[in-house]
Amino acid sequence: MGFLVVALLALGFQAWLPTALPTDADEAAVADILAHEAQPGDVVLLHPWWTERARLFLPAGLSVTGYLGSEGDALLEYPRIWVLSQPSLPRTPTAAFAQGFLPGRTPLGPERRFGPLVLRLYQNGRARPVRFVASEALPMASAAVELPGGGRAECVHEGTGFRCPGGARVEASWHEVLYRPTRCLFLVPPGGPGAVEVTFEAVPPSAAVRLEAAIIWEHAWKHGSHLTPLHVELADADTGAALAQVTVPPGREGFVVAEAAGGPRRLRLRVQSDNAHEREACIQLRALDAEKGASP
Amino acid sequence: MSRAPGRTDRRIAFGLFAGSFALLWATEAAVGFVRDESVYFAAGEQAVRWLHYLLVAPGRAVTDAVTTQAFDFNHEHPVGMKLLFGLSFQLFHQALGLVRPAAGFRLPAFALAACIPAVLHAWGAVLYGRRAGLFAALCFLAVPRHFFHAHLACFDMPVAALWLLVVYAFWRAETDGGWWLWTGLLFGAALATKHNALFLPPVLLPFVVARGLAASRGKAAARALLAQALLVICAALVLLGLLVLVLTPEGFLRSWNLLSPATAVVALLAAALCSLGLRLYRTDVATFRAVAPLGAMALLGPAVLYAVWPWLWYHPVDRFAAYLAFHATHVHYAWTYLGTVLREPPFPLTYVLVVTALTLPVSLLAPMGVGLLSLGLRALAGLRAAWRTRLGASASASEVLVGLNALASIVLISFPDVPHFGGVKHWLPSMPFLALLAGRQVQLAGDALGALLSARLRWFPRAAMTPVLAALVLLPAATLTAHLHPYGTSAYGELAGGVPGAASLGMQRQYWSNNVTGVLGWVNEHAPQGARVWLHEVASFRDYQRNGMLRADLQPAGGPADADVAVVQYHQEFREQEVAVWQAFGTTRPVTGLYIDETPQVVVYQRR
Repeated sequence: MGFLVVALLALGFQAWLPTALPTDADEAAVADILAHEAQPGDVVLLHPWWTERARLFLPAGLSVTGYLGSEGDALLEYPRIWVLSQPSLPRTPTAAFAQGFLPGRTPLGPERRFGPLVLRLYQNGRARPVRFVASEALPMASAAVELPGGGRAECVHEGTGFRCPGGARVEASWHEVLYRPTRCLFLVPPGGPGAVEVTFEAVPPSAAVRLEAAIIWEHAWKHGSHLTPLHVELADADTGAALAQVTVPPGREGFVVAEAAGGPRRLRLRVQSDNAHEREACIQLRALDAEKGASP
Repeated sequence: MSRAPGRTDRRIAFGLFAGSFALLWATEAAVGFVRDESVYFAAGEQAVRWLHYLLVAPGRAVTDAVTTQAFDFNHEHPVGMKLLFGLSFQLFHQALGLVRPAAGFRLPAFALAACIPAVLHAWGAVLYGRRAGLFAALCFLAVPRHFFHAHLACFDMPVAALWLLVVYAFWRAETDGGWWLWTGLLFGAALATKHNALFLPPVLLPFVVARGLAASRGKAAARALLAQALLVICAALVLLGLLVLVLTPEGFLRSWNLLSPATAVVALLAAALCSLGLRLYRTDVATFRAVAPLGAMALLGPAVLYAVWPWLWYHPVDRFAAYLAFHATHVHYAWTYLGTVLREPPFPLTYVLVVTALTLPVSLLAPMGVGLLSLGLRALAGLRAAWRTRLGASASASEVLVGLNALASIVLISFPDVPHFGGVKHWLPSMPFLALLAGRQVQLAGDALGALLSARLRWFPRAAMTPVLAALVLLPAATLTAHLHPYGTSAYGELAGGVPGAASLGMQRQYWSNNVTGVLGWVNEHAPQGARVWLHEVASFRDYQRNGMLRADLQPAGGPADADVAVVQYHQEFREQEVAVWQAFGTTRPVTGLYIDETPQVVVYQRR
């Protein structure tokens, strides 16, 4: 009798599952709503994180995010978050999502349903006004490499960044940090005691500067005596005073974060690792104001 | 008493073989090429080129230089199946033009996979009854992942088939003359297929010891010959051990050649065992039958492997050692399991059990699990009379043989240091035995349910219940397989919540490469003439073109930077590569993709 019950339940599951999946019309209806109601600076957060088919339909200019662990992302540059969820899918981790996402977030309207899709807008209480983003300011920056003898060699502008002596590189590009797609400063240090330095001019006044550094992709997971820590220092380019410093040891996945008081108008970022092999860094450097939430 | 199936069951078994072969062939065209399959296509063609050369210039073809050149490519796997793939391709595609190139390579794999249902029925019908055998046969291929792997010109399903065939021959050898020889020959074929076969002797050894002791009980002459055989084996091992001690392991391997002491020891051992075997056969046939399968495996297995693998001909010891070392130190590919990307050992001890439970259709998992549990309990019950009475029956030696083989590959891959990438294909040899146990359970349940219903409803035909139950139990699995074909590596059962449930659980989305077929139609329709197409993690670009699945004018790109169209496989460990497409193409929006039950599998981007 037990096998019969299991078989019937299995058949029931298979008959039900298609009804839990959104149609193209459901996706298009959501896209239409967002095309009319989303504001510049909004983001769509996917739940479950892997439901990326929505990318095929959502308006082109609208940021979309969803990655393993994205429910805990502060999404601090986005004052409003559209949560596009599929709670009826099997094993959707609704409670875990709520635990990671809801603190600091306030609904700005009711849930709207489009077939099995659920769309709801939230105010992001964890958002912070962003005054400066280093990856966007890179075209106005300068870069140089410290030479072993103590001198400096300027890097040459190339494409979206700089090509430097000693194999060092600086560019603004997309990379993965612990499954999270991130637009960041991509820096390859020259190796040895020397470092690559990037100087940013005319940084707007802000309450704080936030430095986040990580090794990209699977290189972050790698460990062993041949790999060396990545040292990232942020200093006031005029006075040389250290503002923040982070070290990413081999095997450390995800961003290491440091924050300092804002103020300096010129910032210098210095990145060094004794062995540059597989030490490609993804660095987010932003000038932020304090959390205050955002008005709808 | 012979263990041969009756005439009707032989016919059913043949029907199952023919039906399975036809089904695999009929559904083959949609199945994409997994990453290693293209390598085996090439290796198969190379092996056939050598066979041509052997016909044209036999003297040159068998030299060290030529055999090395011909078989060095992909020497990490024996050439047995690759030879068959190549010969089949040559005959059925190139000579006769009956099939497309890929099907030409795959036909031998279909034939071996089709042996599994046939053997399961032949064995199950004798061991448990016809209905149990038939259910076992059908339930094996009804599993989506089994059905998928049965299509591939690879080694996982062939070695599962050969593992089953060796154990079946071993079982038959106890009662039926001649099967001991088949055990040895089939073991040789298994060795020539994949290294899993190396673990067969340890699994079968306890049964040989038990059979040998039982058969020779009270027979002094037979016991004396067994003791002599044991003594000869021990003496040979001691001599070889001394050589290793004196020469060091590396020196031992280096110095082993045709005229070395080690060769003499092995040759003498073989001769002595053959002589003792002959005397045992003349002294007591029952004892001979008990131990002869293992003897045949020990002597014929390596001989067959050596004979069919020319790469070993001139350097048998050091190259075989290198082959073993390759697998003993195999690289650990990244593999996603319950939200974690596993990259190095130790791997979770429960991995194999959890993945088996999540990937099998639950209606088949239940009888397999209950069957194994029931067998374990009955085997334990056999140890004490009181337990035996309580459980009603104890497990026979034949059932214990089935049970141990059901567990062997699962236990082996569960060791935390064994590579865990590749999923269920690595413990496929366990699955036919689990199917046998499931057959028994479904037959028992059908009988019990039939008895219950016919007691209450007099018109109900009692015998009809097992077929009805079997059909109901098979239906969800067959439905799932049909729904997911040809994307079998993405399949998850109802316990996981299907494919979307498994995605939320953080399980591996797919293996490598084959799901790309889901978007080739779009690429063929939309890619500009002569476009450069990056098929991420796909080594089969030319094979897709050769088989008419990808437009001939398209060019393979090396990565997103030089591609017009990028086709990215969704793997947790490859996220950086999809993001690299965003960077290169200036967009985060795909143009299409393969989404199975909403889960991204293959995502396509087009340069703007």
